[in-house]
Amino acid sequence: MSPPGKAAIQLIGVSKWYGGFQALKGLDLTVAEGERVVVCGPSGSGKSTMIRCINQLERHQKGDIRIHGRALCGEPKQDAPVLRETGMVFQSFNLFPHMTVLENCTFALTWVKQMPQAEAEGIAMAHLERVRIPEQARKYPLQLSGGQQQRVAIARALCMAPRIMLFDEPTSALDPEMIKEVLDVMVELAGTGMTMVVVTHEMGFARTVANRVVFMDQGEIVEQAAPEVFFSAPRYDRTRLFLSQIL
Amino acid sequence: MSDAPLVFTPRPADPPPPSTIGVVGWMRANLFSSLPNAILTFLGGYIFYVVVTTIIDWALVKAVWEAENRRQCLDLVGRSGACWPGVVEWIPNLIYGLYPKDQVWRINIGFLILLAWAVPLWLPRVKSKVAIGLSLVLLYPLLASYFFHGGAQGVVWTALIALGGAAFLWVWLTTLAEMRFGLGFGALVARLAGAADDERARRIGWGALAALYVLALLVVSQLRFVEVPTRVWGGLFLTLVISGIGIAFSLPAGVLLALGRRSQMPLIRVFCVTFIELFRSVPLITILFMFNTMLPLFLPAGVEVNRLLRAIVAVCLFASAYMAEIVRGGLQAIPKGQYEAAAAMGLGFWQSTSLIILPQALRIMIPSIVGNFIGLFKDTTLVSIIGLFDLLSMSRAVGEDTRWLGLFIEPFFFITMIYFVFCFLMSQYSLNLERRLGEGQRR
Ligand SMILES: Nc1ncnc2c1ncn2[C@@H]1O[C@H](COP(=O)(O)OP(=O)(O)O)[C@@H](O)[C@H]1O
Ligand SMILES: [Mg+2]
Repeated sequence: MSPPGKAAIQLIGVSKWYGGFQALKGLDLTVAEGERVVVCGPSGSGKSTMIRCINQLERHQKGDIRIHGRALCGEPKQDAPVLRETGMVFQSFNLFPHMTVLENCTFALTWVKQMPQAEAEGIAMAHLERVRIPEQARKYPLQLSGGQQQRVAIARALCMAPRIMLFDEPTSALDPEMIKEVLDVMVELAGTGMTMVVVTHEMGFARTVANRVVFMDQGEIVEQAAPEVFFSAPRYDRTRLFLSQIL
Repeated sequence: MSDAPLVFTPRPADPPPPSTIGVVGWMRANLFSSLPNAILTFLGGYIFYVVVTTIIDWALVKAVWEAENRRQCLDLVGRSGACWPGVVEWIPNLIYGLYPKDQVWRINIGFLILLAWAVPLWLPRVKSKVAIGLSLVLLYPLLASYFFHGGAQGVVWTALIALGGAAFLWVWLTTLAEMRFGLGFGALVARLAGAADDERARRIGWGALAALYVLALLVVSQLRFVEVPTRVWGGLFLTLVISGIGIAFSLPAGVLLALGRRSQMPLIRVFCVTFIELFRSVPLITILFMFNTMLPLFLPAGVEVNRLLRAIVAVCLFASAYMAEIVRGGLQAIPKGQYEAAAAMGLGFWQSTSLIILPQALRIMIPSIVGNFIGLFKDTTLVSIIGLFDLLSMSRAVGEDTRWLGLFIEPFFFITMIYFVFCFLMSQYSLNLERRLGEGQRR
């Protein structure tokens, strides 16, 4: 299945080992610009590893990863400008607890992009408004609820103006009451045409937002399809079993 | 059955039962919760009372405050009261050692400069606190050496001392500028000079710094202090010099060693591990002896490293090794997600380490770091063994004075108080710092 438009992310035969254990087994995946891909699969199937290889938090040992056509070479200096086009949101938020919400957002702008403080704060406030928590800007992350923290994390990633957003189970650490506020922000983001790769088990989100659902198991992509096809007519028994367990 | 749902109204909260709160509640819960507990409370209270009254009796009530020599004290109260005149007479020596009396003002000025240098760190609206703190650690010692040691300096030393002087001027000019105008010293001068663009402003800022340096150079090269060799340094002054340098050196060195120990580069890692384990597995006193007796063997004949310097180097290396392990513990407590979030936002190793990881790690390490500083401060008493006259050795000298022969307990008591005050202040400050830095960041 080849998506239309120019490729934002290309994985070509990507393999990754932890010691002797192969976590990714020659993955091939292309995500087009503006496409929204939801990745699902049982725990330990390599979803996180894949998404972390895309922004090089983990280095793959075999295969090629291209971001907007430019291959990652493994040299931090050379890859940095390419990787700056990706933003990442983690399951455990990973906000910086010693900085206020606003500082969390302006921090990389002033240190990595060398932007003047006032300009950075302007951008940060705009994104905090976008995730609907501008009034929390002066608080510290640990004074906020989980849902609020995750929305700050999304705003923080957006501040760096990435063209691709990666989400690794953004709602798995949240209480049920807070999942919706985070998903709403993500749905809105999808509306802006952002390229998104989202690891999640929120099948409602997959149905309404995704262009494509990718199902992984044991370090491989088992099958991928448009959501309506994926949910109504999965081709593999493994997929059916998985869906029957989570739906 | 009606369709309208029941309305849930939460109950108002009750106050806690009176016997569980306030002084009475606290005493009940903590001092008299059971019979054994009550007995222990009374026993403890009794022991405390006896100890305190005995000490007060000896040190204040029965003490002698005026006497010519120890004989007179003994004739008056025997051994049941303290004999303070000997200690009072020796106070200048306990504090300054054998430093020439007419030069002691230099030490005082030196410490006043230290205080003045540190004051901006506590002032509001001062933004350059990091730079001021760094300059304090790196450049104040240069200026201090000029005051404390004095004597003729070569060209290099003069240049370095002037750097210290210029830094001090800069600290206060920047502090005033930031408190008054919200601009650093360089930026303020550029503003006043009407700099058109950033590039010019930067150049004018650097020009202003250069002017400060030239000014400092002029003063330093004109003013010359008599040399006071480190041989005669002693007392509290010497203790503060050794522990101050040890403290200032060990924290940054410990951070570097700890980072080195976690480095991916094998050479660096092996060096750091060896250094840390070597110095941590040998008592400080052995290291002091080694440096004192063996260092000269390794140096070419004729090169003389003074005794104080040898002690300082030994203390610094020893303290760094301990500090490195404390810092490593702190680094380990920071979740991996913090590194990952920093990396995902495009921060490099040094940026994420210094801006994300260390500030968090140092905060949780404050109690152990200050504990280490306190230990270091007290450990400097060991330098008396290699013939330096620190506070402890000075206090022993009192009892060897012919007029105060045998007066040992009183000077010991006195320096114990000095050590206590310093260590207590350090530990209180650390608690205070912890509380302030932890604001809003409790999990
Ligand atoms: N740092 C690591 N070291 C060793 N094994 C790992 C590491 N990270 C992940 N793995 C293993 O790789 C496999 C895939 O993990 P992961 O990508 O986290 O799965 P998922 O996100 O789909 O639950 C799992 O079997 C996991 O145990
Ligand atoms: Mg995962």
